[in-house]
Amino acid sequence: MKRYLPALLALLLALLVLSCGDDDDEAARDPSPSATPSAEPDKVTFMAGFRAQANLPFVGAYVAKEKGFFAENRLDVEIQHVATPGDNYPALAAGTIQFSTADASELLNKRAGDPPLPIVSIALIGQTGQQGFAVLEDSGIESPVDWTGKTAGYKGATVTPDYLAVLQANGVARDSVTEVRVGFEPQILTEGQVDIFPVFLSNEPDTLARLGFPTRVFTAADYGAPTLGLTYTATEEYVAENPDIVRRFVRAVLQGIAYADENRDEAIDIVLQYAEGADREHQRFMLDTELTMAKDGEAADNGIGYQSIEQWQALHDYQVEHGGIPRALDDVSKAFADFQPATE
Amino acid sequence: MMRSVLRVIAGCVVPPLLAFALLIAFWESYIAWRDVSIFVMPAPSDIAERFADDPGFFVEEGWWTLYEATLGLLIGSIVALLAAVAMSYSRPLERAIFPIAVAIKVTPLVAISPVLVIVFGFGVMPKLIIATLLCFFPMLVNATIGFRDVNPAQLEFFRSINASPWQVFWKLRAPGSLPYIMSALKITYPLALTGAVVAEWFSGTRGLGYVIYAAWLNLRTAELFAAIAVLAVTGVFIYAVLSLLEQRLLFWHESVRSVR
Amino acid sequence: MAKVSFHVSLNSVSHVFTDGRLPLRALEDIFLTVPAGQFVSVLGPSGCGKSTLLRIIGGLVRPSSGGVEVAGDAPNRAQATREIGFVFQDPALLPWRTVLGNVTLPLEVTGRRRELAPLLLRLTGLSEFADYYPHQLSGGMQQRTALARALAIDPALLLMDEPFGALDEITRTSMRYELLRIWSAAERRRTVIFVTHSITEALVLSDRVVVLSGQPGRIVADIEVELERPRTPEIERSSAFLDYTDYLREMLNPSRMQGPVVSA
Repeated sequence: MKRYLPALLALLLALLVLSCGDDDDEAARDPSPSATPSAEPDKVTFMAGFRAQANLPFVGAYVAKEKGFFAENRLDVEIQHVATPGDNYPALAAGTIQFSTADASELLNKRAGDPPLPIVSIALIGQTGQQGFAVLEDSGIESPVDWTGKTAGYKGATVTPDYLAVLQANGVARDSVTEVRVGFEPQILTEGQVDIFPVFLSNEPDTLARLGFPTRVFTAADYGAPTLGLTYTATEEYVAENPDIVRRFVRAVLQGIAYADENRDEAIDIVLQYAEGADREHQRFMLDTELTMAKDGEAADNGIGYQSIEQWQALHDYQVEHGGIPRALDDVSKAFADFQPATE
Repeated sequence: MMRSVLRVIAGCVVPPLLAFALLIAFWESYIAWRDVSIFVMPAPSDIAERFADDPGFFVEEGWWTLYEATLGLLIGSIVALLAAVAMSYSRPLERAIFPIAVAIKVTPLVAISPVLVIVFGFGVMPKLIIATLLCFFPMLVNATIGFRDVNPAQLEFFRSINASPWQVFWKLRAPGSLPYIMSALKITYPLALTGAVVAEWFSGTRGLGYVIYAAWLNLRTAELFAAIAVLAVTGVFIYAVLSLLEQRLLFWHESVRSVR
Repeated sequence: MAKVSFHVSLNSVSHVFTDGRLPLRALEDIFLTVPAGQFVSVLGPSGCGKSTLLRIIGGLVRPSSGGVEVAGDAPNRAQATREIGFVFQDPALLPWRTVLGNVTLPLEVTGRRRELAPLLLRLTGLSEFADYYPHQLSGGMQQRTALARALAIDPALLLMDEPFGALDEITRTSMRYELLRIWSAAERRRTVIFVTHSITEALVLSDRVVVLSGQPGRIVADIEVELERPRTPEIERSSAFLDYTDYLREMLNPSRMQGPVVSA
């Protein structure tokens, strides 16, 4: 027993040091009084859900910061990016960040998790989903009907509802397609390890085309699936306790997006400040594609960031049907909160 | 014999178990005290609960990883042993093989994992290759030293009875190198396990690596830690088995005899 | 006399070690002939080249100059035909083999019948220890095993390099007589060349003592030991024994030679 005494003492010491270092956390979690306007801007942290690039929600934040929209709305925003995808969720849960981005399906998935992660969408930027399935143009695959007997890759742990919806819509039996888990390297498609490769619409198709491999892309939305794209997100708790801050944040980032829409080159300049060394043309492609998708559908009439219970319910039911979320949610309306500024 | 085995086990197992229990107690109470979100860090009770929910699942996936690791270990070790034999008898061969071995050792295998998937597909092959590559170098080095490090007096005896080089190898170098080979196994088996897990992370749908990946993606932190715990237990178990094997096979070696 | 009637003959053998910084002259101009069946001790202080001489005779070292013949052949040929057995100070037993296993080893290597091994164990008094491992044996028992092992190939010539040097006094003494017993038990007397730095040991064991001394080593004395066989411990107190001892001690006297001396 004596031998272990030093180790135990070291352990105790380590724990004491750990707990003493936590005081900053306490301060960050104190909700600022929402009704009292203060002269000092509110300090918040926004963490983008991927590395720095021209995804529209990221662009909104970048531009809002650089062009002073945050400052106008009395916000002092620190912009971070995840080190590895998924880091933003524990950070939201722990309260170390206040705002982030999330794909709409993933948001529902997290809400239905075990235990559930209570995050909400405060603005829906992508009015349609970004997921697509790419095949090489010269592969001879003209439609998903031709997927029979081919190999399809999926990222993540299992195939997505979008994949299943495409199969279903085209009458393709699931066991007639070989499904394999793939990584992010597009060489898997170009080297022929898979025939069908999952892509982000604003991303890989452009990259592959620039590499000399033009592709044909199929989406679930082509076959009527009610997919939705990226959102700005925060926790239920934070939204309940700081509605004013959230409102100002949403206003600022939407201002950022509007500015980017009018000033695309300048917006890309700003993006490149955050995404050092990124390819300008590819980033521009990403921005253009996502702006189009953001102004599409419901947003055409209601403005960027619009979200409705109909959209969310449709997405939810679609997800449940194709096993995209582990269990149905009791109340889908809790998944989003409307902070869209009233149109002037 | 049974009593002494029990005593050895008690002596080896009780102290770490005690330390472990204390650590668990601290961990559990810290999470409760600071109200740490489960998405940041699960408590031991959460992990135990998740494991108890479906122990068969973890065990089965653990077996799969162990299978890949063991296969990779066998292949890597055999290739390394053959290379070591060749190298101990031919200096030019040694000069040819050794730089390649070092290059393999230095390559971050995590980085080439995706490349292996691109080239070899999604099945067991990339995991096997990773595990094999990880095991190759340590075994090669140890076996080479082992084959070379013969007792000079013993070697002189073999010369004095005019033994052929093959006889010298088979009756002197090979048995004499066993301590080094066992020692290499104790290093490489855990490496092979880690390698298999890393490879499973990148492709395929079996094994603890995949379980950890899927759990991580879906924020099932308790499941993630449970898988890690199973992996750790597997590693400890392997090490214990190897140590016991070492005791039995190397009873004649001073290093083993002087251990309690 | 025709050379062929001698088992071992050395003709003007010299040896220089050139692997160090400076060349080391170990042996100078050795002439030696040994008839078959003779037990010869090579007596001398440390560093006078006795071990080197033994290894030259055994074919493990090729001399810088001079001719060596064993049974009319070059030593390495004699070694190839397994006419020579070695016992060194370090028994060099294989620790992973039992006593029986160690004695069987040369039989495996040479392709002789393995059934000879138990017989050798009986000869050397090791039958009870057949299943023991070397680490379980005392120094004396290990050397006995080494001796049994050396005899396994049934060599006509036995070369022994201070085999009892690492043993305690009591064991040394008893091992000497054991060795004589084993040596006499053979149908045909093997030739033994026995290196030692102990005068007593040389006299107890041998028919003949060759004194090697100085640096480089030279033969400074060569006497027949005319004591009765079988030798017994009482012989060590006989006046003849004491006379021989005095003579040999004189031969080894440092004032006569260059080179370090070790007391018997």
